[in-house]
Amino acid sequence: METQDQAPLYCSNCEQPVLLTNRFCPTCGTSQNQRELVDDSKKWSQLQGLALFFILEIVTCLSTLFVAHPTIQTDIFFGVLMAIISVLFFSSDWKNNKHLLKWPGFSFVKLLTFIILAIIGSLMVQVIAWYLNQHVFHEEFFDFPLYQSHPFGTYIMIVSIAVFPALFEELAYRGYLLQKLLNIVDRKEAMYITSILFFLIHFSLFSFFWLLPFALLLAYIRIKENTIWYGILIHFVFNLTACLVDIIYS
Amino acid sequence: MENINYCNCCAVKYEAMDAFCNACGFPLQGTKQEQDFYISERNVKEIELIDLDEKVERARRSLYWISGLTLFSLVFVVFKPSPDEDVSFLVITTLILSTAFLGLAVWGKTRTSTALISGLSLYLIIHILNAILDPRTILSGIIVKVVIIVYLVKGIKSVIEREKIKKELNLI
Repeated sequence: METQDQAPLYCSNCEQPVLLTNRFCPTCGTSQNQRELVDDSKKWSQLQGLALFFILEIVTCLSTLFVAHPTIQTDIFFGVLMAIISVLFFSSDWKNNKHLLKWPGFSFVKLLTFIILAIIGSLMVQVIAWYLNQHVFHEEFFDFPLYQSHPFGTYIMIVSIAVFPALFEELAYRGYLLQKLLNIVDRKEAMYITSILFFLIHFSLFSFFWLLPFALLLAYIRIKENTIWYGILIHFVFNLTACLVDIIYS
Repeated sequence: MENINYCNCCAVKYEAMDAFCNACGFPLQGTKQEQDFYISERNVKEIELIDLDEKVERARRSLYWISGLTLFSLVFVVFKPSPDEDVSFLVITTLILSTAFLGLAVWGKTRTSTALISGLSLYLIIHILNAILDPRTILSGIIVKVVIIVYLVKGIKSVIEREKIKKELNLI
């Protein structure tokens, strides 16, 4: 940055020297933020793209809630559908998104810390959710019975609850959505919006106490580390822990 | 003293050889006509900015309205003539939603686009869910729903346009 500040600046229009503090060129009067203005005129159409993405997500997620008799087949079908939507939108802006698939500054210690925290966090959420279900809603809820009948039920359940959501939700929310929003609003707002939309798409109002902080943390790590891999692994470990608790206790 | 010149438009100091003000782009060496044209252009944009501010504020206020209307819908829940039904879940959900919209409206003072986008998404999800559970709810209060959605969408658009005009005027 320092070298940039010290380098002589020239007007984007007449190429006469301008100072960094000059908002307009003193020679030709051209505004010195032309490039930003061009970016700004694209923002509304970019936001419409995001709206399309989110409406598709809502429709798909809602459909899963209203399947009368959920089976392993319907579960896999919706899992694959969500994966296709995520991959399509992520690759729609491949040029700006591909850097997220790299893993700069890989740190084993960091990864291990995140994984341990994810396991602890997941167990805590499980206990609180179990307590709420028992004492407030008076019902118990397990996912495993759906998969139990199948010979490979356990594996299918792990793929459908831990692997798929971790990979494709991260690709869609912390990948596509967050990257686009960073062009439209400032960094903090982008973090807040992705986290709130991520929470809304789960259609679980009472989960706000852990879903929102979880999403905010993932978004923060994604922006700080500039990769979605930490997020994918944290999300995977978090869901896997929940999945294993479900299998053991049901 | 005579060497110090101030721009007629924004009162920032300028050098005698500058053709344009480096802070606002005012044509310092231009003809009277050019200078007047510049000022009127700038005024138009400033009026547009006030108009956009109003639209954003209207969208933010509609979040208060949603909060109030959600709370009001409790009347129908509580006084529904079906005493055997357990309404406590519905009451808690409605209260949380109403508080959420109120919170977004207040938060919108500082984080406008977050509040408006989140508010619109939550509002749409609630009504799509309601419509699937009971299709008759689509028509109830349809005018209010459309007005609120239009206000929110216009609000989000205005936030973006407002930023653009502020940049054009080089206010930020």
